[in-house]
Amino acid sequence: MKLTRRMMTATLGLALATGLALPAVAQDARADLSKTSVIEQIKEAGVIKIGLSVFVPWSMRDKKGELIGFELDVGRKLAADMGVDVEFIPTAWDGIIPALVSGKFDVIISGMSVTPVRNLTVNFSDPYAYSGLTILANTAMTQGMALEDYNKPEVTFAARRGATPATVIQQLFPEATLLLFDEDGASTQEVLNGNAHATMMSEPSPSMEARNNPETVSVPFDETFLATGEAFAYRKGDPDASNFFNNWISVNWKNGWLKERNDYWFKGTEWADQVDQ
Amino acid sequence: MRHKKRQRLHWLDYLILAVIAVFIAVIWLRISGTLNYKWQWENIPNYILRWDEDEGRWFANLLLQGLINTIRIAIYSSILALILGTILGIARTSTNLAIRMLARTYLEVLRNIPPVVVVFIFFFFLSEQLIAALNMESWARSIARQDDIAVWEFFFGDMRRFPSLISGVIVLALFESAFVGEIVRAGIQSIPRGQREAARSIGMSWTDEMRFIVMPQALRKVLPPLSNQFISLVKDSSIISLISVQELTYKTVELVASTRMIFEAWITTALLYFILCFGLSLLFRRLETNQKGAR
Repeated sequence: MKLTRRMMTATLGLALATGLALPAVAQDARADLSKTSVIEQIKEAGVIKIGLSVFVPWSMRDKKGELIGFELDVGRKLAADMGVDVEFIPTAWDGIIPALVSGKFDVIISGMSVTPVRNLTVNFSDPYAYSGLTILANTAMTQGMALEDYNKPEVTFAARRGATPATVIQQLFPEATLLLFDEDGASTQEVLNGNAHATMMSEPSPSMEARNNPETVSVPFDETFLATGEAFAYRKGDPDASNFFNNWISVNWKNGWLKERNDYWFKGTEWADQVDQ
Repeated sequence: MRHKKRQRLHWLDYLILAVIAVFIAVIWLRISGTLNYKWQWENIPNYILRWDEDEGRWFANLLLQGLINTIRIAIYSSILALILGTILGIARTSTNLAIRMLARTYLEVLRNIPPVVVVFIFFFFLSEQLIAALNMESWARSIARQDDIAVWEFFFGDMRRFPSLISGVIVLALFESAFVGEIVRAGIQSIPRGQREAARSIGMSWTDEMRFIVMPQALRKVLPPLSNQFISLVKDSSIISLISVQELTYKTVELVASTRMIFEAWITTALLYFILCFGLSLLFRRLETNQKGAR
């Protein structure tokens, strides 16, 4: 049988059709899987995959290069209570919600504030921590400025791209200029160098920075913005997961464990010698 | 034979060196004056190699782990890119119209979209399908749960991160294969037509002609641009830190977020990348001179 051109084209067409059908089959398989709750998937796999992003002191790398922090304690207790192993998946903050939605991990436990915009894409549990945002300002540049004085075009804010402070700054100070950076460290450095008047971060980072550099920066106002609370984020359409996470958080509030861990990481500094700061 | 004349420094050389030294000094003074930064260089060596008291031996810490992962990713994706690019280059010079058009489409699509965009599109749309279809996650986890996984860990690092490593390697290889394909095509087309006609006239089939006449010469000829592309691939591997593959750039971002040592961490990472890429460039130069000598 000679291999004619017609035969080759027919084979190619068949291969293309099969190739295009395969993703559709995989899509169906995934749709079936997502009909079952994530709790069932976790039980079956025997491991809970938690997405997080490095964010002092929620989670950070200590001197050994291991992950430590408030989120790590929460994640380990959650896994222990579920009777499964725990796997932490460090992810870039910009892509953490798309990664959750596309199934790279089961839940985000990374100090994610509850906002309506995010809630359109993912579900949130009840809050398990409340830390507001405060302003960290360059003392020399913002001498004698009241809160309303920050809302002028000459005033420059620096913030981390994709984090809630950026949105809050845009809402509260629409006239001011906003510079966006990929990390908190970069935006804080801008304020330290005097290239930006102020930045906004979740407590306790501003207080820690003000303690480290008292001559240059300070926290000018006591009021906290947007203390809506941080919660677990998980995929939509999962009532079992909602019920489980909410009850787990409620139980651990009532028995004091969450408050004790929160005070250890956020109010105290005993962990400071494990990390270079 | 070349005589090496004794290189004596002209007064102009001294002047140029003096100007450069003054320039560097001025920049350094300006930086230390305006940059409000507490340098913490003494903390950095700990993040490359760490001495563990309890176990009594050296451990690779964040930056070295990231460097090893980068080397793994660079090697695997460059092998894959070489294979794909060679197939693409041959397809671009094929006599069959459909194959030529398909190759051209693949090439133009991947060459004309920025790498960051390609990485995001591939990662969020395609790689999940691939991983689900092959059931890679449970396979990788079952391997990670075994006891002796030293061989697996040597080749692939933490086996639980295996699916994301594979996604990163594949997308990087796809992206680079477009460039390698063009280089290989140029190499093939630079072989004189007379040689190919001679091969046909003594009765060689197309595969024999490719295998014995065209490809050996073509690949040897395009070794300089190919080595350039390999070094470029090592640098492009930093892009896949955006999809959270645990390579050197991602580890540095985590280090900076944990300890606020921005400049020390990034300067150290730049040095590590430089050592890696410069070492490769010296290696390739050695390979080229060996080739030239052999001819």
